[in-house]
Amino acid sequence: MESTLTEVDISNGVRAIAEQIGQCNQDGKFVLVGVRSRGDEVAARILELLTEMGIEVPMGILDISLYRDDLAHLNSNPKLQGSELPFPVDKAHIILVDDVLFTGRTVRAAIDAIMDYGRPAKIELAVLIDRGHRELPFAPGYVGIHLETQRLDYVDVKLKETDGVDFVEVIQNNKG
Amino acid sequence: MASLLIKKASIASEDNDELLLADVLVENGIITKIGNDIEAESATRVIDGSGKILSPAMFDTHIHMREPGQEAKETIKTGTEAAINGGITGVVLMPNTSPAIDSAAMVRTIYDIAERDARIPVYTSGCITKGREGKELAGIDGMLQLGVKMLTDDGDAVPDMMLLKRAMEYASEFDCFFASHCEVLELSGPRALNEGKVSYKLGIQGTPACSEEICMDRDIRLAHATGARLHIQHVSSKIGMETIRWWKQMGAKVTAEVSPHHLLFNEEDIGNYDTHYKMNPPLRTADDNAALLQGLKEGVFDIIATDHAPHTPFEKEQDFVSAPNGITGLETAVVSLFHHYINKGEFGWSLLVNRYSAQPRRMMGLDPVAIVEGGQAEFILFDPKGETTFSSDFMCSKSENTPFLNRTLDGSIDLVVVGDDILLQR
Amino acid sequence: MTRKDLLDIESLRREEIEHLLDQAAPFKELFTRSVKKVPALKGKSVLTLFYEPSTRTLSSFEVAAKRLSADVTTFDVPHSSVVKGESVRDTIATLQAMRTDYIIVRNQMAGIPLAIARATKASVINAGDGAHSHPTQALLDGFTFKEVFPEPAGKKLLIIGDILHSRVARSTSTLMRKLGVEVAWLGPGSLVPKHGPSEIKRFTNYDEAMKWAPDAVYLLRIQMERQSAPFFPSLREYTKLYGITQERFKHIADQGTYIMHPGPVNRGVELCDEVMEYQRCLIDQQVENGIATRMAVLYWLKPHTAGNDSLIEEDTN
Repeated sequence: MESTLTEVDISNGVRAIAEQIGQCNQDGKFVLVGVRSRGDEVAARILELLTEMGIEVPMGILDISLYRDDLAHLNSNPKLQGSELPFPVDKAHIILVDDVLFTGRTVRAAIDAIMDYGRPAKIELAVLIDRGHRELPFAPGYVGIHLETQRLDYVDVKLKETDGVDFVEVIQNNKG
Repeated sequence: MASLLIKKASIASEDNDELLLADVLVENGIITKIGNDIEAESATRVIDGSGKILSPAMFDTHIHMREPGQEAKETIKTGTEAAINGGITGVVLMPNTSPAIDSAAMVRTIYDIAERDARIPVYTSGCITKGREGKELAGIDGMLQLGVKMLTDDGDAVPDMMLLKRAMEYASEFDCFFASHCEVLELSGPRALNEGKVSYKLGIQGTPACSEEICMDRDIRLAHATGARLHIQHVSSKIGMETIRWWKQMGAKVTAEVSPHHLLFNEEDIGNYDTHYKMNPPLRTADDNAALLQGLKEGVFDIIATDHAPHTPFEKEQDFVSAPNGITGLETAVVSLFHHYINKGEFGWSLLVNRYSAQPRRMMGLDPVAIVEGGQAEFILFDPKGETTFSSDFMCSKSENTPFLNRTLDGSIDLVVVGDDILLQR
Repeated sequence: MTRKDLLDIESLRREEIEHLLDQAAPFKELFTRSVKKVPALKGKSVLTLFYEPSTRTLSSFEVAAKRLSADVTTFDVPHSSVVKGESVRDTIATLQAMRTDYIIVRNQMAGIPLAIARATKASVINAGDGAHSHPTQALLDGFTFKEVFPEPAGKKLLIIGDILHSRVARSTSTLMRKLGVEVAWLGPGSLVPKHGPSEIKRFTNYDEAMKWAPDAVYLLRIQMERQSAPFFPSLREYTKLYGITQERFKHIADQGTYIMHPGPVNRGVELCDEVMEYQRCLIDQQVENGIATRMAVLYWLKPHTAGNDSLIEEDTN
């Protein structure tokens, strides 16, 4: 089953997350951490909306390349872009932001990375798209869009800053 | 009566490049008739030589056969088979065996082994100094009595000039000559490669060409002063060639040899530390290649000699500095010289026959084996349209350290005859 | 794309060098965290094979590998001044049997890291082979230079000392030139090789060299070699002609010229004490950057040992 998400769908998804986060954290005592790549772009958009809502929070970017569990199986290691966490991680309430939640391995890597910076008080997860098929026991606290997919489908996310356009396409894998 | 008839071959000689098309009849090891349309008797072996070159067999005066002492690399048996495979029917061994050939007893040992194992005559040189240590004179008279003609410490130069001078003065009494491996040890460094842009690139201390040239000049002057006959081995550089040319013009009794590898390769061929291009003296530059070829054509180099130096693969696979110097050459010499020079018109068969068959024999006091009526039958049949692939299977040498390994070159040696015997036939 | 081995700078394309220099920065950022380790090479085995003694380079590699969570073992080899080639061949056989993922080699014989790289599936890193090559030193020098000069093209680097025997000088010269830096050599005539790239200016006089106005000078450690024919009469004479004496240092400080040195330094010989306190002395940065650069190299290379050769490219979020 093929499906697509338009710019409007994406925009609505981001708004949904921002509103959920705003409602649950009115004291504004949290930080956003976008997971490269594209998670940082989603986080930036959420940040903008939160600011409109009067909630000002710091934002950081996390590169999880060094924490992936599949490095040994890759032909060549992914290029590092580095992390920037301009706030103390100790005792922080961190909301991780990513574009797609799938098996959960990225989340695990992100948590491992954060832990090496310090000891946060709490970590939550916000994702633009939850496509199911978890392989590790992680659950998102904030979801923009639920997407039904097959395990072998490929979800191609394009976002303006990174890819020039806002568009999501689910591509069926016919090999299955 | 054993007889052999070669039909319609093109006969090469040292006199001129024109090949005489004729049949050659050999009876009881002597060439009895050269002419057209010789009839074959029923008992005669007939070989079709059409399109092929019938050349006097080659003679190599600079061979390392490693026996006694390092038989894993080569023995007199395998070395002489390799010689036959390369169209060579006489060899002169270098004395840097273990123990060295520095006495009559050692010379006799070599002759005994050759008698037992070799199908071609094996001559040996003798050391100038005992054990090649450069300290005391070797048992010269004893060796010369057994027919040794060449005295050399090859592998090394004789560092003590006074000792060398005395050796030359002492030996002036005898019918022999000195052969010099030229290098100044203080300039040699690790003896790995030429000092130049490749040694810079590979980060290894190189040996400058002047090391060889200085020693060459020194030895020629000493020989000139003492009246000794001198032969300069494996010349590798342009200035070296010019040094010899000059001294010959001055009337010095000096002869010189050049090897196929110094003609064909230079330091760039070493590439990424390839030890197949590592020998002493080392490969130098393209300018040196050109000058050496010129010297060969002009006759500055009286003879061609391979400096056949077998080594085991384990040894050659070490890092560049540690790997031993030398490559094999017996089986590849004639074909590689044909492929690169005769086939390309650089020079003709007369040069090859003169430099690699006739002159080497004369230098050792032997008669050349020209293909003439009444002459000894000792020749090879060479197919210019054939091909030779130097695979492990093809080569008879125990060692494979040659840059030609698995390469295919133009030309092939199809027949080797000595006297009555066909030593090789393909 | 990546490689199995890092043996020299010559064979690296400019893009590969730029990539490695670029990637060293994120690793350097990790040093400010409380946990300096990342699990990128967790469980991978790294073997160090140092035939020449070295504390600085060896420990720099060890720290780099451990910060990537790799397991590091020192392979005990003889440190004699002449190591027979045969013993290296036998060591290669043992290395093949051990199936380590990374081998870091330092040896007096040029070409040995290449021989090991050809014979094993491990990623081989050349930590210095004879007078030939020291690629990780060149990379950390390049990284340090770029920290100060983000646009290195057109800048000038003067290397002073025993260029002839220095693998550092050769590799760093090659790398800098690939980045567009102009390189010149200064030293006694017996220590400045006449072979090598003709584009590199060669000076044997200090004042002449400084007229060329380098943006940075790179000092090499100078020693009297124990051999029959020395390359120069005495250390004192060397310092007088080529060392950064107090007087020469004043001029350098006025010009704001940066100073680099691969270490360890010989105070009073190639430099005076004041150099070490100089604000534009980059020696300490070079050391710190050495670890980051070596981490980037270990992360970038791909061994061909088991578990490393399936062809997965995409993410599994």
